[in-house]
Amino acid sequence: MPATSLAEAQVIAPTSREEAVGAFGDGSGVTVLGGGTILMPEMNYGRLRPERVLLLQNAGLSGIARNGGSLTIGAMTTVAELEQAPEPLGTAARNVADHEIRAQATLGGNLCAPSGGATPRGDLQAALIALGAQVKTAGKGGERTEPIEDFVAAPDGRLLLEVEFEEPQRSGYAAAHRPHAHAYTILAVCAAETTAGLRVGLSGAGRNGLRARSVEDALAVGASAEEASQKVLDDAQMQDDALASAWYRQRLLPILVQRALDDLGGGK
Amino acid sequence: MRLTVNGEQHDLHSPPLTSLLTALREELDITSPKAGCHQGGCGACTVLVDGEARRSCLLPLAAVDGAAITTLEGLGAADDLSNVQAAFDEHYAAQCGFCTSGFIMAATALIDRTPKASREEILAGLSGHVCRCTGYIKIVSAVEAAVGSPA
Amino acid sequence: MKAVGARLPRYDGVAHVTGQTQYVDDIRVRGTLWTKALRSPHANAAIKRLDTSKAEALSGVYAIVTHKDVPHNVYGHLEALGIPADEPLLAVDEVRYKGQPIAAVAAVDEDTAREAVDLIEIEYEERAAFFDIRKAMDPDWPNIHQWGPVYPHFGSYNHRRVRKGDIDAAFERADTIVEGVYRPQAIEHCPIEPQTALVVPEANGRLTIYSCTQAMYFSMGVVAAHLQWPLNKLKFVGGTVGGGFGGKVDTASETISALLALKAKRPVKWRWTREEEFLVSSTRAPWHMELADAVTSDGWILGRRMTTLHDAGAYARFSPYGVTKHAFHHTGAYTIPNVHFDGFVVFSNRVPTTAMRGFGVTSVSFAVETHMNRIAEVLGIDPLQLRLKNANRIGDTTPNRVVLKDPSTVPVVLAAADRVGYDLPAEYKSMTNARRSGDLLPEHLVAQLGEPEHSSNGGGR
Repeated sequence: MPATSLAEAQVIAPTSREEAVGAFGDGSGVTVLGGGTILMPEMNYGRLRPERVLLLQNAGLSGIARNGGSLTIGAMTTVAELEQAPEPLGTAARNVADHEIRAQATLGGNLCAPSGGATPRGDLQAALIALGAQVKTAGKGGERTEPIEDFVAAPDGRLLLEVEFEEPQRSGYAAAHRPHAHAYTILAVCAAETTAGLRVGLSGAGRNGLRARSVEDALAVGASAEEASQKVLDDAQMQDDALASAWYRQRLLPILVQRALDDLGGGK
Repeated sequence: MRLTVNGEQHDLHSPPLTSLLTALREELDITSPKAGCHQGGCGACTVLVDGEARRSCLLPLAAVDGAAITTLEGLGAADDLSNVQAAFDEHYAAQCGFCTSGFIMAATALIDRTPKASREEILAGLSGHVCRCTGYIKIVSAVEAAVGSPA
Repeated sequence: MKAVGARLPRYDGVAHVTGQTQYVDDIRVRGTLWTKALRSPHANAAIKRLDTSKAEALSGVYAIVTHKDVPHNVYGHLEALGIPADEPLLAVDEVRYKGQPIAAVAAVDEDTAREAVDLIEIEYEERAAFFDIRKAMDPDWPNIHQWGPVYPHFGSYNHRRVRKGDIDAAFERADTIVEGVYRPQAIEHCPIEPQTALVVPEANGRLTIYSCTQAMYFSMGVVAAHLQWPLNKLKFVGGTVGGGFGGKVDTASETISALLALKAKRPVKWRWTREEEFLVSSTRAPWHMELADAVTSDGWILGRRMTTLHDAGAYARFSPYGVTKHAFHHTGAYTIPNVHFDGFVVFSNRVPTTAMRGFGVTSVSFAVETHMNRIAEVLGIDPLQLRLKNANRIGDTTPNRVVLKDPSTVPVVLAAADRVGYDLPAEYKSMTNARRSGDLLPEHLVAQLGEPEHSSNGGGR
C-alpha cells in the first residue's frame, strides 16, 4: 500500500557524503530531494507520496573545486552557483528559470529529474555533454564513473555525487529563446572543444540530453558547420510536448546547431 | 522543527515535507504569502529565508529547520512602511494585490543584494513573478523608485 | 471634479502592501473542511455507473455530493433574462467536457479529500469528442447539446442576425470584394488567485458565503436558484478579488461548496489548483469570423457580409450575450451602410467559454482592424486614410441603428498617427468627427444618416 500522506514519509538528512551513500543503499524506495524545485510541486499536488526521502542539503555534496584545468562540481551545487561556471555551462545555467529558482535548484536535480512528460527537463545537460563531463555516482555495486550522456539516459538507482570536466578551449551556445522565465528550454545546443575533441550536446531534442555524434563525426571528416548541422536529426528523438511540436523542433534544431558551431569562440 | 518568523520563534508540527507556504498559512495563519500555483510558477508565495528570496511553496519544512523567515507582515506596518512597500503604494504597483506580497519580498531581496540595481537588473530579478492585472510597468517603476530612495 | 487628473492614493493600497488584505483563502474559520472534485477525464462520455459508498466510508470524509444532492441541478447563467437553462451543476448521466464536475468531497484535509475522490467508483462510455466548430453544420456533427449544434434561442432564429440597408445592391455596385477569415484563439484569464469559496453554515440557518466572484449579486442568484432558497438566507461576503478579468463572472465554486457545507454541517473551503484553473475554468472563446466587404476603388466600404461562429464549449453560459455584443460591433469604428451579419453560438466538447475583457468585442475588433489593413493593401490605399474616410461621424448609424452622438474614431486615429510620427495629407489631418457633408457624404451614405439630437444612444454595453 503506497503512502497516502506526507506525514508517513521518513525523512533522512545525512550530514556527510558517506552517510548519504549509506542511506541511499541501492536506491530502492528512496526519493532523493535536492533543491526541491521539481519534487515539491509533485508533493504539493498529491501526486508523490514518498516512503523514504533523502534530504541532501547538508550532505557535503555542494561546491565547485578546480584542479588545474579540470573542475569538479558537487551534485548539490545550485544552478545559481553555476552561473559563473566555464562556458557553455554558465550560459545554460543563467537561462534556467529565474533568480529564486536558480538559487534553490541543484545540478543533481537537473541531471536526475525524469522528463516532465509535458516538457523536457535538464537544461544543463547539453552543456555538460558538450564538455564531455564524467559523472560519479553511488548505488548498487558501489561507486561508478561514466560519461554524462550515458548517465542521463538511465539515472535510476544511482545517487549522483559529482560531475567532473575539463575546461574547454572553445565553446558555443544557441537556444530557442523563451518569452518567459519559467518554461524549460525548448531546444538548446552546446558545443565545446577540449583536448578530447569537439563535442555537441542537445537539450530538448529528446526525453533527456543527447550527444550529437553524427554532427561530431561529420565535422571530424571536414564537413562545414552548415553541412554538419543537417546531420543532427539522425541523433534527435523529437517529441511533441507542451512547449513545442516535434515538427517545429525538427526545423529549428539544425539552425541552432549551426549557430552554436558558429558561436565557437575562445574558452572562458 | 523550529522557525523564526518575523522575529518570533515557532515550533512547527506539520509533517517535514509540508511546504513552507502551507506551514506558514495553515499552521501559523500568516497569510501574506499567497498560494497562487503551488509549483513555483507564479512567485506569489515568495518570502525571505535567512534574508534571501525563496518560493515558499518549493521548500519543504525539513529544509528550512532553524531558519529565519520574513514575510510581508514582518517588513513594515501601515504606519512604518519600508521603502519598497511605500514605493509600491505610491506608484500604484498593487492592483488586485494578490501578487504584491511576492513582488515586494523579491524586490526587497533584490535591492539588498544589488543596492543600485538598474532597470535591466530589476527586470531580470523579478522575471519569475507573474502579475495578471498587467501592472508590470508600475511595479518596475516602484522598484526603481525604491532603489533611488535613501534606505 | 477634484479626482480627475489627480494622483489619489488607492483606498486599498496600504492593505495590499502590508499583507493585510483578506482574500477568501485568507479567512480562517475553525473546523473548515477541504474540498476536491471528481472531474471527468473525458471530453465526451456517458456515465454508466457512479458509486460513492467506498469514498463515504473513508475516515475523515464529512460529505460527498452528486447531482442527487442538488435541489435544482440544471441551471442557466442567463435564466434571469429568459434564456433557458441547460447546464447541470453536477453531471447526471453524461459529461460533455474534460474536467466537468461529477461529484465533490468535503474532508478533514486535502489529502483525504483527494483519496476519497479516487475511491469514487465510476464507469464511463467514451464518445468521440468534437472541437472544430467549422464542421458544426456538417451532417455528421452530433448533437453534443440537447438543443442541437447551435444555440437556438435568438428570438425566432437560431443565430443572432443583423440586417441593414440593401446588401445585394452594395455587392453589385462594388469594384472589388475583399474577403478574410479571422480565428482568434481561446485565452485563459489566469488570475493569480485561483477560484476559491468558503461557505459557513450559521446557527440561524443561513449560509455565509465568502466568494471571489466578480459578480456578487449574480452569484447570489445562482446559488439561491440551485439551492431553491430565498436570497435572505444567503449572506455573501466578497469584493476582494485576486484578479478576475471576466473569468470570475461564472459562478464556479460557491454552489458546490454550499451543498457540501449543508450536508457536512461544517464550514467548507474549495480552492482550485492552478491546474484546475488552466484545465477546467472557463476561458475566452475561440472565434471563427468570415468577412466579405464590398468596396469601391477609391476606398469606400459599401457593404459587409459577415458570418461568425462562436465556440461556446459544452454549455451556453453567457455566450449568447457575447455574440449579441459582437454583432452590434461588427463594423467596428467605421460606418458601413449595408450589412448582413449572422452569428452562431456553436456547442463543442471544449470547456465552456465566458467573458473576458471586452466580451465578444475584442474578437470582432481584431477581425475588423486586420480586415481594414487587408482592404487597404488590396486597393493600394494608405491604411490610415482608409480608416479616416470610413470612420464613424456624428449622425452615422451603427449596424443596430444607434445614431452616434460623439464618435471618437477620427480623433483617435489622428492622435495615433501623430504619436508615431505618421504623416497624413492636410485634408486628412484637418478631419473631425463632425456630421458628414461634402465629399464625406457620398450618395451611398445619405440614407444611413440619423438625427443625433433625437436619438436614444444605447451607451456602453
